[in-house]
Amino acid sequence: MWSAHHPETALLPYLNGELSVEESARLRAHLKDCARCQEELAAAETVIQQVARRVEQIPEPDWTAYNYQLRRKLNARRSEPVRRWRPGLVWASAAATAAVAASAIVLALTLAPRPRPAMVAVDQLEVEGELADANIGLLRAYPVVENMDLLENYDVIKNLDQLAPPSRPHVVSRS
Amino acid sequence: MGPSDEDLCARIAERDSQAFDLIVERHQARAYRLACSILGNEADARDVSQDAFLRLYEAAHTFDRRARFSTWFYRILVNLCIDHQRRNRWWRKVVPLAGPDDDPDAIQIDPPSSEPAPLEKVLLQQSVEQLNRALGGLSAHQRTAVLLQAQQGFTSKEIAAVLNCSENTARVHLHRAITHLRKVLKDE
Repeated sequence: MWSAHHPETALLPYLNGELSVEESARLRAHLKDCARCQEELAAAETVIQQVARRVEQIPEPDWTAYNYQLRRKLNARRSEPVRRWRPGLVWASAAATAAVAASAIVLALTLAPRPRPAMVAVDQLEVEGELADANIGLLRAYPVVENMDLLENYDVIKNLDQLAPPSRPHVVSRS
Repeated sequence: MGPSDEDLCARIAERDSQAFDLIVERHQARAYRLACSILGNEADARDVSQDAFLRLYEAAHTFDRRARFSTWFYRILVNLCIDHQRRNRWWRKVVPLAGPDDDPDAIQIDPPSSEPAPLEKVLLQQSVEQLNRALGGLSAHQRTAVLLQAQQGFTSKEIAAVLNCSENTARVHLHRAITHLRKVLKDE
């Protein structure tokens, strides 16, 4: 694996003892003859030490204040309502959403204006013609029916004189 | 020698407050420093490391002991740091950082001293700034890899577990980070 290349990415793992016995032996053999990798290895070790030293030098915050804030945040989280993942509720919501969507689609298809074919208008005219020509007794006698209605009204008017006195204004006698 | 982190985590899952306090005490300095090194900002490091402990409290029951506790916990922390950076990359340009005065309940942390800082402190601060500058030139994954290696002594396999990548990729991140840092720290 390293025969053709410098094993640059294996240098730190080698330092940390992460490599297998075979890998370590091969790397050692390579390092014997490779000045560049020897330098890289030394530099990697130095950089890691520098970083570690400097990270340790990062000034610490006031831990009392830090812990006080942390405790406050924790208490705030605890007082929040628990939001649990409930698969049953999710499936019910999904089913309800699907039902609403399906209803909307059906309604849209039902109520959508449809282009009417020319045949419909012709049929309608024919129907109207047929109705006009039809021997419908009631329609032919319509003036008579209308007059009968008037007569009925006339009958009421004629008996107005016999209405009850004003003390009982609502009562209308039909006799 | 007290109980192991793994045992404490199991007790936290049962809502043992003492176990939580103990694990915070054990890891807070390293968690804060790691967050500070990734984020380059003390206030953000404080918030994000605290959030990591809150997540630990809430998710303790999901820790299954297949990995070391530290790998599991630092994965939470690193994810929060990277997420925080991603979220705030553009936001910070628009909205200035909120000061402690903005929160009436906030307590004053590290109030600025009116006295001149001792020489040692100044040199320390310069050193930290130099490191931050050098780390600033790395990608989030490279930075995290080298910090986990340097600070925590994590192996490539553990770094890979934290970064959710292959071991080889973790090694490449480490190598590139060291090459970059070597150059920058040598130049300065």
